[in-house]
Amino acid sequence: MKAMTVVVIILLTIVSLVYIFPIYWTLVTAVKTSLQIFTYPPIFFPTRFTLSNFYTAGNIFGAVSQTAVGSVPWMIDSTIVAIIATLASTFLIAAPAAYSLVRYIKSVWLGRLILFMTMIPEAVFMVPFFLIVVKINLLNTWWGLILVYISFTAPFATWLLMGFFNDIPKSVEEAAEIDGLSPYQIFYRISLRLVIPGIIAALILNFISCWNELLYALILTYSPFPAGAQTVPLFLTSFIIVEKSFAWGGLAAAGIFTMLPTIILGIYAQKYLARGLTMGAVKG
Amino acid sequence: MRVNRAFRVGLILALPIIIYFLIFFIYPLITLFQSAFTNTAGAYTLANFTNMLTDRVLKISLENTAFYFFGSVALEYSVGFGVAFLLYNYLGRLRSIFRTIIFLPLMVSPVVIGLMWLLLLNTNYGPIDYMIRLLGLPPVNWLGNLSLAMPSLIIANGWEYSPFVFLIIYAGLQMVPQQLYEAASVDGLTRFQTFRYITLPSIRASMIIAFLLNSIGVLKGFDLVYVLTNGGPGYSTYILSFYEYVVGFSFFETHYAAALAILFLIVIGAFVFVMLKFTSVEEYLGLRRLKE
Repeated sequence: MKAMTVVVIILLTIVSLVYIFPIYWTLVTAVKTSLQIFTYPPIFFPTRFTLSNFYTAGNIFGAVSQTAVGSVPWMIDSTIVAIIATLASTFLIAAPAAYSLVRYIKSVWLGRLILFMTMIPEAVFMVPFFLIVVKINLLNTWWGLILVYISFTAPFATWLLMGFFNDIPKSVEEAAEIDGLSPYQIFYRISLRLVIPGIIAALILNFISCWNELLYALILTYSPFPAGAQTVPLFLTSFIIVEKSFAWGGLAAAGIFTMLPTIILGIYAQKYLARGLTMGAVKG
Repeated sequence: MRVNRAFRVGLILALPIIIYFLIFFIYPLITLFQSAFTNTAGAYTLANFTNMLTDRVLKISLENTAFYFFGSVALEYSVGFGVAFLLYNYLGRLRSIFRTIIFLPLMVSPVVIGLMWLLLLNTNYGPIDYMIRLLGLPPVNWLGNLSLAMPSLIIANGWEYSPFVFLIIYAGLQMVPQQLYEAASVDGLTRFQTFRYITLPSIRASMIIAFLLNSIGVLKGFDLVYVLTNGGPGYSTYILSFYEYVVGFSFFETHYAAALAILFLIVIGAFVFVMLKFTSVEEYLGLRRLKE
């Protein structure tokens, strides 16, 4: 029995190393000089560090690249788009809809529809959303992206909040009704406040998915703030071309730098993350 | 009277999502069908769909999508399930450390994961090829090799999504009542019998939900292909979503891309339909409780 435990610990340690190593390698590449990056054998444990990859533009082979610190315009776009899309979909659409579905309308078909909408890939609505955004003249603007992002943040937040509203004991609302509160007051003053953990989970998870979204941003934007609305993933993909010209330090630094907001949010929201990521299937 | 009033309240609260539904689902769907059934001159045609039958790249993309799907899901499911099972059953106090580590990939964005694997899989300076050379084997051009590019994508995808399967299965294991195991040991069940007759039936819900959500996540995939291989070499890593993107926004054949999107919608719809029809996934996701 004991021997089995030891075997399992060794096995899981190896597995854990597989999960950690890519992150570690990126981190280490970000603080190496290009000389250290392009040596053979590769340096696994560097003893000298540099932060120049974070703010130095250009590289040894002369290809002009952005710097990690230079990602600020893209970060501004991402932050504004993600915040507005997330807040609008959660408070204006998802919260009342989820409450209505759980307490009033109770339609399984509507529930199914919302579930299905959370599963539709971006690629399905890529063409229509492009045509619509062109038509209403919002290409390469915050508003164009915000509208399109609401298309996936709203059903996700609705689905998530349905689970949370359902967990509220009915007696709480019945007591409020006896006290003479109107249904809207019960929703706004009582129920909405009882699902604050759910709202936080919805806000953070939707913020992260907006922040990371690539496909829609790729087709709907073509320049960053202040002229346009290109978001962080597009800033990062601009490094792929540069990768072929060896700006690896900058690439790794940019990856680390732009990841910080979502990592911080993720750590903060860790206890809600499980339930949110699994669409409420796992009670966190 | 009371019923009517309740219905009115429900409707008013649901009004935003009904409007949302019209603007963000029905209207795009109409636009999608409109462009799929017309040509650039605006005339109605079925050509976009008949063209699919002779589209060699579409055939390759569909085959690749199937390979990508089954490869990724098999890898993620076996790793996620295995790790969750081992961690839950054999470790005590160390559990939370491992769980936190396995959680890490879920916090990294797909584009950054792509960039990470670009660094890792590099033939000349990457750590993976270094280790291969240490073993005395020739270096491997992972992303530039016709038959290795797709497996490389699957490995990167597995790194990204196996923690997700792990998370759901692990939570399922935690919810199995301890008395069941005690009863099993009183009855003298072997380890395998306990697994087969106690554990598996108890975590059925988690297993099905993990499969559904993992499959949808893999089918949605676009970011890794775009960052890691850009479809190459040749067409070897073209998957449906990527091919549709290329058709629509590199060749600007939006009408044909719309037709491909409908094909994609049918694939996803059929998958979700089968899952809802033949498993109790609705019940597990709490949909049935709406009926009460």
